Amino acid sequence: MRFRGGYDILLQGRPEGLVRPMPEPATLYLPLRSPRFTFTEICVRHGQDVKAGDPLARDRRNHGVPLLAPRSGRVNLESAENHTVLEQAVKLQQPSDPARKQMSHIERESGAAVMRQRQLLALGAWQFFYDAHTGALPDPTGSPQAIIVCTLGLEPFVTRGDVQLRSRLLNFTRGLEHLQSLLEYQPIFLAIPDIRSDFADIIRNRIRGYASVKILAVPLTYPYDNFRILARRLGLKRSNGPVWALRTEGILAVDRALTLTKPCLVRIVSIGGAGVVPATHIKVMPGYPLKMIKEKYVFEPVARIINGGILTGETLGEQTLGLDAECRGLTVLPEQEGREFLGFTRPGWGRSAYAPCFLSSLRQRFRERFSTGMRGEGRPCISCNYCEDVCPAGIAPHLIHKYLYRGLIDGAERARVDLCVECGLCSFVCPSKIDLRRQFFEVKQLIHDEKQAICEEKARLEAVREAGK
Amino acid sequence: MKSVLRLFEKARPVFQKGGRLAVLKPIYEALENFLFAPSTATTTAPHVRDPLDLKRFMSMVILALIPCIVAAFYFFGLRLAAMIAVSYMAGGTVEVLFAVIRKEDINEGFLVTGMLFPLIMPPTVPLWMVAVGVAFGVFVGKELFGGTGRNLFNPALVGRCFLALAYPETMSAGWLEPSSELVGRFFKYVDASSVDAISSATPLALAKQGEMCSLSHLLLGSVPGSAGETSAIAIILGGVFLLVTRVANWRTVVGILGSFTFLAGILHHAQSARFGPASWHVFAGGLLFGAFFMATDPVTSPTSNAGKWLYGAIIGSTTVLIRNFTGYVEGVTFAILLGNIVAPVLDEMVFTVRFWRLKSEE
Ligand code: SF4
Ligand code: SF4
Repeated sequence: MRFRGGYDILLQGRPEGLVRPMPEPATLYLPLRSPRFTFTEICVRHGQDVKAGDPLARDRRNHGVPLLAPRSGRVNLESAENHTVLEQAVKLQQPSDPARKQMSHIERESGAAVMRQRQLLALGAWQFFYDAHTGALPDPTGSPQAIIVCTLGLEPFVTRGDVQLRSRLLNFTRGLEHLQSLLEYQPIFLAIPDIRSDFADIIRNRIRGYASVKILAVPLTYPYDNFRILARRLGLKRSNGPVWALRTEGILAVDRALTLTKPCLVRIVSIGGAGVVPATHIKVMPGYPLKMIKEKYVFEPVARIINGGILTGETLGEQTLGLDAECRGLTVLPEQEGREFLGFTRPGWGRSAYAPCFLSSLRQRFRERFSTGMRGEGRPCISCNYCEDVCPAGIAPHLIHKYLYRGLIDGAERARVDLCVECGLCSFVCPSKIDLRRQFFEVKQLIHDEKQAICEEKARLEAVREAGK
Repeated sequence: MKSVLRLFEKARPVFQKGGRLAVLKPIYEALENFLFAPSTATTTAPHVRDPLDLKRFMSMVILALIPCIVAAFYFFGLRLAAMIAVSYMAGGTVEVLFAVIRKEDINEGFLVTGMLFPLIMPPTVPLWMVAVGVAFGVFVGKELFGGTGRNLFNPALVGRCFLALAYPETMSAGWLEPSSELVGRFFKYVDASSVDAISSATPLALAKQGEMCSLSHLLLGSVPGSAGETSAIAIILGGVFLLVTRVANWRTVVGILGSFTFLAGILHHAQSARFGPASWHVFAGGLLFGAFFMATDPVTSPTSNAGKWLYGAIIGSTTVLIRNFTGYVEGVTFAILLGNIVAPVLDEMVFTVRFWRLKSEE
């Protein structure tokens, strides 16, 4: 299968290729929730002193993935709701080594690969692994049919892979080698923008001998960096077992964990969008106070701060105080201002639109300063087919929408709503301003819950029958 | 502008739920949002939206119609203005009425229908017929199905079809002879009473009797016919604009014109005495207007791209068949309505194949 659909939104505020340092914070606010994880099991006491690298909390539902203390300091569990606060944070020369402590517990017979995977989990590198099909955290005791490594970050504006890689190429290739050691014969697919670039040559030279790294060229169009789309592009079927997927930061974390046996504590995060000066990358750690970032970079008085990219990210509310453990970038959007008089009659010299209905299509492609405005009223679907044209999953969003409008959930199921990767492009282009992505997201959830309920019901009946015997 | 906006703000409570004029909320909202772009903001991802909205989308069609409208004024005179006004008023009344009854927003789609309808009418048709036709079209063709976006048939064509069946003489007998003066009829009001200007037949009717008018007349539009359908150049100009802005899908247009030319070419080749050349037929009658402005209506055509090809082919070939083998001289209206009927079936077919192929993918 080839890549389908896709579209690049040209939005002002693309982060530059620099990484700027940030001042060391005195207090860290670690949210107990991130997109995938909810750290329910707190491992520290209020007022306890912890060292950098100590686990503060774990997520039991996700194989006990730990929330590591990025700095040494004193735990405060009471000052902020849903956060673990680390006060008097200091950077120690010698972070603690939770891996070594844990290693002794692990039975030797579980195999070298599984042991390494455990080590990754303990050192906070496992959280960078994704199941390509479901997006969930893979089982650290399992083994995949293949691994996809993607160096691209195409959604506006998440951290750019090339920025993370700068001057860390050695670490990257070493990380790939480590990854190899988790596998027996399964292939690693490396998705990069250009197979003829210098970067590709270096990678090819360095990993010579590790024959199972295959390089795949990915066009720079959103959302071809999506793991599920990549898995489909590579023909990796779900029925053949899990596919693991990592991004650049994941490989770097693997390298750090397995070469130095050190936890991965700081990371590079982008800050971009129309409300940021200058749009750039910053070096921070989870829990970094959002206030300090805002003060330094956000000049827009009313702005929406988004955790992640503009198309799939979540709005960060007032109650969130620090960066979460999975943050891939911050995007800042000015809120919608005033109302345009006879807006639809404007020639639109400065509009960056999907369909060339504005004068701007006579210009070269340029970046528009988008705001949070809906830019139109909700209307019934007019079947313009734009959504189908941009959909990377090859499904027909308008068809699913029409089924859902009539309440036909099984119709939506038949129309393969399950293939939707929630990239958000359909909602973006829809001239009728239909919230397609959200509808699909919700109905998928519904179908999932229903299936779960049926399974549970079956299990219950089974148990009753067993007991009856 | 600020003061106008403030006026709207002040008037809002009257139209809100419980207000004195709450029934008229759709009208108030339509007017407000017509003048001022709405201020709603996104709530969930994606946090930004494309600048294109339905108002702009529909105004593109109106813009694309301008060459046709100018040509119609030039050849048939100021009466067109009256027809457009009547069409908007009658159709608008139905639309607003239904919006009020359904408590929904007034939809922009009607702006296009109201403009398209007079352009496919004979220029001398009585104004009351314009009103009846457009009201019927909007009511039966659109509102009964649930409004814009849910209709099966192109409302303008339903209106025209209705008139053609109900009043066949008026709709096909008296055609206005186009102006032959250099300044055209920009400043003249000509109606059915000015007998000297009435000709008996359109080029297609004449062609049936073996009399072909010259191609240059067809291109320019100086032939009798429906108000906006005669000038091929003007239609192509506007039509290409629509295709470039992607408001109309090129597949439909290419499908129709391609299949039409192909079939008409074969017929001409087989019996050149009986059937006119394809290059002439393409420009005659309402084919171009239908292909560019009527069949491309996104709502009533198939949504999938493959479906659009099939749809175009069906319309194009049906038109050839009706034109050449039936008593009707013009077949586009019926062909497109037929296409509208099969459109959902075509989509169904395309999607069935698609989902079957997707099955093997993940
Ligand atoms: S959100 Fe889903 S349906 Fe919409 S374009 Fe993306 S993959 Fe397709
Ligand atoms: S983009 Fe919106 S209006 Fe167009 S077909 Fe898709 S859902 Fe319908």
